[in-house]
Amino acid sequence: MTILEVQNLEKSFGDLDVLQGIDFSLNKGESLAIIGSSGSGKTTLLRCLNFLEIPDRGKILVNGEVIFDAEDPSTQREGEVRKKRLHFGLVFQNFNLFPQYTTLENVVLAPKLLAKDRPDYAKNKKTLLDEIDTKGRVLLDQVGLTDKLSAYPHMLSGGQQQRVAIARALALEPDILCFDEPTSALDPELTGEVLKVIRTLASRNTTMVIVTHEMDFARSVSDRVIFMDEGLIVEQGDPQEVFGNPKEERTRKFLARYKETDE
Amino acid sequence: MTQLPLIIQRLSESFLLNWNLFALTLLFSVPLGLIVALGSMSRCKLVQGPVRTFVWSIRGTPLMLQLIVIFYGPGLMNLPFSWPGGDTGRFTAATVAFVINYACYFSEIFRGGIQSIPKGQYEAGQVLGMTKPQIFVKVTLMQVIKRIIPPSGNEVITLVKDTSLARIISNKEIIMMAGEYTNQGLIWPLFATGIYFLVFVGVLTLLFGQIERKLEYFKA
Repeated sequence: MTILEVQNLEKSFGDLDVLQGIDFSLNKGESLAIIGSSGSGKTTLLRCLNFLEIPDRGKILVNGEVIFDAEDPSTQREGEVRKKRLHFGLVFQNFNLFPQYTTLENVVLAPKLLAKDRPDYAKNKKTLLDEIDTKGRVLLDQVGLTDKLSAYPHMLSGGQQQRVAIARALALEPDILCFDEPTSALDPELTGEVLKVIRTLASRNTTMVIVTHEMDFARSVSDRVIFMDEGLIVEQGDPQEVFGNPKEERTRKFLARYKETDE
Repeated sequence: MTQLPLIIQRLSESFLLNWNLFALTLLFSVPLGLIVALGSMSRCKLVQGPVRTFVWSIRGTPLMLQLIVIFYGPGLMNLPFSWPGGDTGRFTAATVAFVINYACYFSEIFRGGIQSIPKGQYEAGQVLGMTKPQIFVKVTLMQVIKRIIPPSGNEVITLVKDTSLARIISNKEIIMMAGEYTNQGLIWPLFATGIYFLVFVGVLTLLFGQIERKLEYFKA
């Protein structure tokens, strides 16, 4: 079942055409890895999905519903965008945890604010907030941070911070969870713990879009791979195919560069 | 030395003017400074330009000049406005000059604090579905406060000492009072005024140190 459909997405910054017509779709429960060199437009694509950038052209559909259409300004109003973007969760390269809150507070802050919009909030306030706290603890347990609930971000390692960020994104139960190079800001010995969490999510059929430079990880974790270059999708398909037997010259060159650096 | 209790009493009474000017300036210039900061960050050039020019002209000229212009200006320029007579008028004019001057300084501190918050903090709030006011109050405000406390402390301490400038428009503040005794050949009251300032600044330094320690639980 198709959960996400991206149609002809284009985005320029001034004279720089970062996305030049991106089309792809994603099935529920699938994890999609996006690879490509720096400047190929991967991150911009992810930021467009999360409404951090407004595409110049194209459409984004979730569950068949048009949530963004460049031609239709009514899909770009702030209040609309705020609701629609909750279809997506985003885990940043630099974690972007809120430094003044504890681990648990970071996870429950947004759900508690959103709970205020519920009609039964005034009546069931205590129950609702308790439920959110309980869920926050469960999520932090899932990412292996039960003993860090009341720690502040600066007390945590990069890997731990990123796991909090994953729990924080999961707390809003997004349909599609996006990762923007989740291990690029980490010391090499800390990437493993983060990748393990993402692997677990994949095994539980979480729908994910993962922009990454970790080729082995992309190959093993994803159900499908997209290779991007200069704002276009050059090749996409089954990871074993794309990595094992790339059809396009540009894909081959890109992957060859990674093999060299690995050795 | 028989004059000692009397002199101390008069110095203390005149220091009340310094204190009042300090307190009123702080009370009004902080909120006004926030408004000016928002203006100087406005994306509308018609707001940003004039606000920044105003801040530049206030920060670029001596407070003493501003006191003189604000107090004597209306009369000298035949404006349809005049300060109330006597001490009230002098004190009100001084307060207005101080509030405007300090609002501009505070506005730059606030602007620096707000603009130093990494973009990622706003973006994290956005992707979590927060509204702009929620992001400001729940995400950035505490981080801004932590960042502006040290420079604000500096500014507040400067304000304590600047209050003595109010004498230029004949507000009888503590140094002016001590000056009367100096004219009679008595020097120690002048030194004594220094003690008032030292004690006051000492208390403020402790207070700001305490606030800074309270905010040490997180790093931003």
